[in-house]
Amino acid sequence: MRKTWVVIRREFAERVRSRWFVISTVLGPLLMLALIVVPLLLAGRGARERAVAVIDATTTGFGERLTALLDRSPPIKAFRIPSTPAQLGARADSLTLLVGARALDGFLLVTDATADDGRAEYRGSNVSSPRDMQILEALLEDAVFTERLERSGVNPAVVRQAKIRLDLKTAKISGSRMTGESAQGAFILAYAMWLVLYMGILLYGMNVMGSVVEEKTSRIVEVLVSSLRPFELLAGKVLGVGAVGLFQLAIWGGFAAAMLDQRAIILRLAGAPAVAATSVAWPTISAATIAVFLTFFLLGYFLYAAMFAAVGAMTNSESEARQAANVVVMLLVLPSLLMIGILNDPGSLLAVRLSLIPFCAPIAMPVRWVAGQVPWTEVLASIGLLAVTLLAITWIAARIYRVGILMYGKRPNFGELLRWVRTPA
Amino acid sequence: MFRPRRSRPGASGSRVSTPVVLLETVTKRFAGHTAVRELSLVVQRGAIYGLLGPNGAGKTTTIRMILNIIAPDEGRIQLFGTTASGRDYSERIGYLPEERGLYRKMKVLDLLVFLAQTRGMDRASARREARNWLERLDLGAWEQRKVDALSRGMQQKVQFISTILHRPELLILDEPFAGLDPVNSQVMKDTVLELARGGTTILFSTHIMEHAEKLCNYVCIIARGEKVLDGALSEVKRDHGGRHVVVALEQGSERWDAVLADPALVAKADRYGQFAELELAGGADPQRLLQALVGAGARVTRFEITEPSLHKIFLDKVGPDVASTPSGREAAGA
Repeated sequence: MRKTWVVIRREFAERVRSRWFVISTVLGPLLMLALIVVPLLLAGRGARERAVAVIDATTTGFGERLTALLDRSPPIKAFRIPSTPAQLGARADSLTLLVGARALDGFLLVTDATADDGRAEYRGSNVSSPRDMQILEALLEDAVFTERLERSGVNPAVVRQAKIRLDLKTAKISGSRMTGESAQGAFILAYAMWLVLYMGILLYGMNVMGSVVEEKTSRIVEVLVSSLRPFELLAGKVLGVGAVGLFQLAIWGGFAAAMLDQRAIILRLAGAPAVAATSVAWPTISAATIAVFLTFFLLGYFLYAAMFAAVGAMTNSESEARQAANVVVMLLVLPSLLMIGILNDPGSLLAVRLSLIPFCAPIAMPVRWVAGQVPWTEVLASIGLLAVTLLAITWIAARIYRVGILMYGKRPNFGELLRWVRTPA
Repeated sequence: MFRPRRSRPGASGSRVSTPVVLLETVTKRFAGHTAVRELSLVVQRGAIYGLLGPNGAGKTTTIRMILNIIAPDEGRIQLFGTTASGRDYSERIGYLPEERGLYRKMKVLDLLVFLAQTRGMDRASARREARNWLERLDLGAWEQRKVDALSRGMQQKVQFISTILHRPELLILDEPFAGLDPVNSQVMKDTVLELARGGTTILFSTHIMEHAEKLCNYVCIIARGEKVLDGALSEVKRDHGGRHVVVALEQGSERWDAVLADPALVAKADRYGQFAELELAGGADPQRLLQALVGAGARVTRFEITEPSLHKIFLDKVGPDVASTPSGREAAGA
């Protein structure tokens, strides 16, 4: 045990002092900061005015009322160009030039047909912006609706009075108790969790593999196993690299918490409007969520680290190992590919199955946990299955490792691997 | 300073009954071939024991079994008089494997401290000893440099330091002189002899007989996984001595073919141009041989009745066909 500690210490100290660790630890929070600030800045830039011309070929005054409505609704600035149905083409052509010269964002063509059967046309440089088109469509629909009601003799004042803006608030129910989390917040959190779990398990698992291959190719492993049991060496390596992972996550977690706490200041410094801080649904993280995350991260890391270590022990070089590791990586990629499905419907059969299959569970279960309501029994069942698989895989991996680290030459085929596993200690 | 940490006074002299290493009919098979067959050997405390044999004879496999890196299929191995494994005694054993290797990205001092710690030494004394040795082998200025930055020769020195840093009682060296330059070779030989004088038991393997001849006091020759001969070097030489003659001739006068081919005089001839190492036939008189050579017209510049060289004994015992058969299987361990 004391010798395992010596190995843990070396793995930790060497890695934490490496350039790779320092760079990724510093870059991580910067990336986080960029992830938060950049969209807000972009959103702020999206608040810029949209100059829209209304080419009005109506005869009922609908065009004027529409222009007034558009003009009242930021970010649109609207003005009216009177026209006749015959002049429509010529007007449109000249305005197209203005759009091309960026003097105008676009123009709307309205005729009597607009109020009659809902036909209108918009041409502009911003048609690919779903947000702009959503606003425009909603306003146009509103104007047509009001116009048609009036035609049927309904007082516009009554219509305005009857129409109210709807504000749908969303809240996640977890364990029959409403949390303060919004749907958007849960989504962001689930997404972040997936990213951290996937990257963390993959990167640190690969680190263990690299370490095994390094000791094997440098041949230092022979000296090491003359004083350490192979399992002590493997355990020290996995725990040491895992400790580096937790250390890095703690740094990032602390930084993220501090940023969330001070978000108003950070946003002000970034020049974003004060409302931006409240307009985005910030995720809230409960203690249970942290516990679930850490449990699955650790179990998943141990599971994959054991497999990566076995792969490293079978191969003779870093590049050969990376190639052979693809099989293991695929196991991890599978739940990631199906992540969107889990997010959309955390209670679906697919999501439940993925979160119970031990090789997918480390990613699928925490994502499900954050995205929807997961009964504790399912979480515990998933942990149980994962733990049993972990023990079995570790047993096999340790036996492959024990033989593989002293074998050079051709990569073993399946039969030889079986013989390695069966070799008595 | 170079005394092993645990050697007890008088342990080397009086208690010859418990050998440091004892192998009893040890057999190891790998898929398809037997690497070591019923090998028995005894290494007494304080010995410099040479495990000799051609490539592929089973030397590395034997050493790995002694260290419990691999387990024997049959037979019994004892270390320090008990059946506990090499790892349980790792603080009392130093091991230099045939295939050298270090962590290339680690600083020299950190690396030495780490390896000493895996052998049970505490950090503080490991640091102190590492500094001493680095200083002694002219590497003091390099302790904070990465292994990568060192030349091959320096890396070999660092590796050797890591083997002896924890003052082992038993030093196991697998082909210690392979790949060493003459300077490091000398440093290695001097240090090994100094450790031996301090009471360290040394077991080393080699296929170069000259090294064994200069260093060992006990030898064991193995070939094809089996023991061919073992014993104290002086006894081995005596058993094979007295019948050997070294002859050198003046250039251009090598008219000795008929004489060397005479079975009444010469049993075996190992010829090198104007020089030959001969084994006399049973009952043959060396003087008759000299007479015959002179009579044949050879101009003799040297005629010496000698002990055979270990090299000669090795060739006699193992046979030139085996001695020159290369095999990579041993290094691969499979």
